[in-house]
Amino acid sequence: MRLPKFEYFEPKDLKEAVSILQNEPAAKILAGGTDLLVNMKHKVECPPTVVNLKGIDGLADRIQDNGAVRIGALTTLKRLYVTPVISEKLPGLAEAAAAVGSYHHQVMGTLAGNICQQNRCKFFNQSQWWRSSKPICYKAGGEICHVMNKKEICYSSYCGDVAPALLVLNARLVLSGPGGSREIALADFFSGDGKTPLNLKPAEILTEVVIPAEALEGISSYTKFANRDSIDFPILGTAFWASMENKQYRAAFTAVDRKPLRGQQIETCLDGKDLNEEVLDEACDLAAKAAQPVKTSVYSPSYKRRMMGVLLKEAVSQATRRAA
Amino acid sequence: MKRVIELNINGDSHEVLVAPNNTLLEVLRDKLGLMGTKRGCDLGACGACTVLINGEAYLSCVMLAVDAGGKDIMTIEGLAEGGDLHPLQSAFVEKGGLQCGFCTPGMILTAKSILDEEEHPTAEVIKRKMAGNLCRCTGYKKIVEAVMSVNESNEDAGRPEGQEA
Repeated sequence: MRLPKFEYFEPKDLKEAVSILQNEPAAKILAGGTDLLVNMKHKVECPPTVVNLKGIDGLADRIQDNGAVRIGALTTLKRLYVTPVISEKLPGLAEAAAAVGSYHHQVMGTLAGNICQQNRCKFFNQSQWWRSSKPICYKAGGEICHVMNKKEICYSSYCGDVAPALLVLNARLVLSGPGGSREIALADFFSGDGKTPLNLKPAEILTEVVIPAEALEGISSYTKFANRDSIDFPILGTAFWASMENKQYRAAFTAVDRKPLRGQQIETCLDGKDLNEEVLDEACDLAAKAAQPVKTSVYSPSYKRRMMGVLLKEAVSQATRRAA
Repeated sequence: MKRVIELNINGDSHEVLVAPNNTLLEVLRDKLGLMGTKRGCDLGACGACTVLINGEAYLSCVMLAVDAGGKDIMTIEGLAEGGDLHPLQSAFVEKGGLQCGFCTPGMILTAKSILDEEEHPTAEVIKRKMAGNLCRCTGYKKIVEAVMSVNESNEDAGRPEGQEA
């Protein structure tokens, strides 16, 4: 399967990368390539320009622990989970990184690449030949969303493993662009629009992920349900974070909506309480209300909603075992 | 625009004219005739195209050739030294770790990267890390047995000469 043709750039520093992106607004950024290049082979993304960031110093394999943990955007997923500060103090993040694709994807794939991955849908992530049996879907450049049979709206699901694990840590992102750097909460990075899932300004690049010191005081976990453990995207993923002393809890889900979601109602329900069976049952019933899954995979929305509670319970028990 | 890149494959340097949209797999097979690296799904899902880049297992079908310039690349052709099979290759033969053989180069190279990195990985670790290499013939049992036999019998197996554990 040939990749479509494109202009290729290997900038040596961020300034150069930003100026290339300013000149080429339709350019795509290449990191590990395990998402972008597959989509390009399927011809659902055909950028005229590809900008490879791997030549830029300071973005790759950088994990600094100064209270807060700062991680370079191109740090590989494998590097994440083999680094002690992550595997020991942020086990939920390590679990999420180790749950991505296969071992090869973890070796090649990067933290920022995983966060910025394209939304997925059974009508979008298919070969050109498969897709030719229907009119092109809205996300791939057509007019209609085949999932909901509506025009000019896209219901594709965000299926990243790492984003929910970072959401419960209240992670922040550093974005560098023409006007310098800015820092935003990870939750504000996702637009909720299936067609353009990320809130990136023109020529902006995600350069760093910051995990606040406060997050390291709690315990975390990530549980994933997929068709095959070895290589699949999640059908559903749940991250959980708890500060047992303060009785504060955070939950997040992936693959249930157009963006990764925090379970606000669950958190309000659990807040200040001990995690006993009764409280957990109540929270798990609320889990289904946290999202509006649609049929972007072979699994029905109602099945996904029920599984959200099941997986939440598993994530909680994993975290409490860890605390004990 | 096409460009000339230098690929360091199995210790030999090759100057190759490539287009940006050529994958490493295409260059290995179609330009350099190194047919040991297999084109399976061609979408990064099956592991048949695995090569080692600086000792780590990479999927050459979802890697641009231009991105591999200047890095140490090892393909299955570079594993046997002077006509002697690498211990992993012998183990796959002895334990019956292959039938059609299509997944074998990827399997062996992934196994090599695991054994090079970790001294005595458990069968569980081997299974988890090799889970992205799909085999439709063997049922995997004999593949894991083959890797485990090398893992147990010779702690230096799988490491390039002169490299410390």
